[in-house]
Amino acid sequence: MNLSMLRLLSIPVLILVAIIAGANLLDGAAPKLDLDVAVDVTPPALDLVPRCVGENDQTLIQATRIQFPRGGRVTSDQLFNCPRAFDQLYVTYVGEVVGELINRRGGVWAQVNDDPYALIHGPLVGHSAHVGFNSGIAVWFPDGTHEIIDVIGRPATRGDVVEITGTFLRADPRDGGGITLRAETVTVIAEGFTVKEPLHTAQLVVAVVLFAGALGAIIAAQSARRRR
Amino acid sequence: MRMVLRPGPDDLKLIGYYLGKVLLGLGVIMLLPAVVALIAREWNAATAFIIGASLCLIMAGVSDAKLATNRSLTWAHGMVIVAVAWLVGTIFAAVPLMLSGRFETPLAAIFEVMSALTTTGMSVIHDLDHQPLSENFFRHLLQFAGGQGIIIVVLSLFISGGAQAGTLYAAEARDERILPNFIRTARFIFAVAGTFLVVGTLALFGALTLTGFTPTRAFYHAINLFFSTFDTGGFSPMQASMAYYHSLGVELVVMVLMIAGTLSFGLHFALWRGEPRNLLRHLETRTLAVTSTLFFGALAAGLILAGTYDSAAIVFRKGFFTLISAVSSTGHQVNPGVTYLTDWGVLAPAAIVGAMAIGGMASSTAGGIKAIRVGIAFKALTHDIRRILLPESAITVTTYSTGRRQVLRDATARSAMTVLLLFIVTFLLGTVVALLYGSYDLTEALFEAVSVGSNIGISIGIVDPLMPQGLMLIYTVMMWLGRLEYVAVFALWGYLIAIARGRTHA
Repeated sequence: MNLSMLRLLSIPVLILVAIIAGANLLDGAAPKLDLDVAVDVTPPALDLVPRCVGENDQTLIQATRIQFPRGGRVTSDQLFNCPRAFDQLYVTYVGEVVGELINRRGGVWAQVNDDPYALIHGPLVGHSAHVGFNSGIAVWFPDGTHEIIDVIGRPATRGDVVEITGTFLRADPRDGGGITLRAETVTVIAEGFTVKEPLHTAQLVVAVVLFAGALGAIIAAQSARRRR
Repeated sequence: MRMVLRPGPDDLKLIGYYLGKVLLGLGVIMLLPAVVALIAREWNAATAFIIGASLCLIMAGVSDAKLATNRSLTWAHGMVIVAVAWLVGTIFAAVPLMLSGRFETPLAAIFEVMSALTTTGMSVIHDLDHQPLSENFFRHLLQFAGGQGIIIVVLSLFISGGAQAGTLYAAEARDERILPNFIRTARFIFAVAGTFLVVGTLALFGALTLTGFTPTRAFYHAINLFFSTFDTGGFSPMQASMAYYHSLGVELVVMVLMIAGTLSFGLHFALWRGEPRNLLRHLETRTLAVTSTLFFGALAAGLILAGTYDSAAIVFRKGFFTLISAVSSTGHQVNPGVTYLTDWGVLAPAAIVGAMAIGGMASSTAGGIKAIRVGIAFKALTHDIRRILLPESAITVTTYSTGRRQVLRDATARSAMTVLLLFIVTFLLGTVVALLYGSYDLTEALFEAVSVGSNIGISIGIVDPLMPQGLMLIYTVMMWLGRLEYVAVFALWGYLIAIARGRTHA
């Protein structure tokens, strides 16, 4: 391979590396906020719920059902790891209401997340706590329970954090077999709030410079095309 | 290898020129979420999109000014352009996501965009449920662009001469030329998508409004869901995927769109012209009908045997939706991924793996091995058995329909078998790599490898923002290979070898 070929090949590779490194640098330079939004919640009733894999986990399921105190707190991870262990049990669940309240006759559906963004760090705005996916369950709030929910989790907004007691259903027949929690009592334990995202000034400057560069490149291309 | 001619600087310039066209298309696409960000007053997201779009437009402008050429594209050029375009385009499109703060590493943002463009639908995003509207819109828009084919987008918008474009079109795993001219074919595909965009979005909007959404939110969900559903992508505006909606109406509209997305554009054309008989005679339709029936039987039996659901209606609703999601390679989920492992028994997930492996139709937005290859492989097998059973003097001819009746030839059968084998090898390699990490069992590793390698997107839980970076890289490559169905990537590999070791021009 001759030198000119090597140069031709290396230029795009270097450009790509520079773009990735530059973007990474710019992302790291984003302004941070000092948020203290952790919600004080009682720990789950059971420390660890192992995964019930396969059909031979009846012992594990029965043991969990015996150990679990009526009305004890569960997390969504525990519920998904072994849905049969909690099926039709009366539980307490704490989480942030996100998305929307989907109005139906007799109540509303809502997604209630109990991941670290909901209960510890707040929405991923102004901080860099990367703690994984959102996790939560669908809750049916009958009329008379959901009216106290005021703020719904949206971009840059943490919704109300609610403590719910109710019955967990592994395959809710009234939801086409969905995994749901049928709420009986609801308490707002932390009110929702909106985080004002600080403007990333350096990113704004880079955007303006590159946009000007893009306009220049398009004009240069058009004049080159006219010359051809 | 000395017989192969070494590509010269002019070849690389030609490739660079067409890559510039692809980046021009991506730059224009990125301006749309920038507008959404400005309307939603998401300033940091807006500047991120402007940066991404500007970088694309700068590269497009420079390539147009410096690399423009009248040289004709060869098949090798076309293959290399497509293979590289999917890599380079992915990196450029990942820039706004790298700046979003929602991805721990640049690789994670690249994974997300590769997953979007290849319409896989696996996601490694942190805190999706609080993601700015414009960024979420961008993820879904990428599925639309990728599903239609980046090259298709470019062909439709930025290339006027049809003769050169055919090689790019075919290299992007779209070997079905519906109309005599490639540009007209590309524009027909766009017209189909445009029609479905209007009808599908309206249907979803109606279903969501009836299901209790406010009109504004219904429209936001409808447009995003359409992008990810018709193009068999599988992203969802919320982490809970389809389980978020609690609506049979929404699920029905989504199922219709998934089926529409998995039909080849040739069949769309036949239906467009009022020729439904083509649909019924087509080898792919028949293959999908047989395999889907078998897999649905296994899936339903699995759910009943495992005692997952005690009502036939629920078994049908959950099972059929999941099967359509798998076959169409969309990847929408009606329950959290880990519950396939912890609540669906053994047979049902195995049926899903089988359906995912086969995937949808060739020349559609669907992924997987493709029904046409499975159908041809089966025809070839029965052909061989007949040849053994009949007298030696007998002439055996096997035919099949792909809109017109065709004789099964050895070369066709060999080509189908080769790609089928390559998919299977990729699934196995992906499984072994995941197993080597020691954190996953065989069911999880195989399920995820098939889902990623077939560009499906149903996850059993391995793909996660906190997954090992090495596995993330392997899965990224698998998505790229699966989308281009190997040929273009192998051509790129051969081209690189030719650059290094080929014979120079006389």
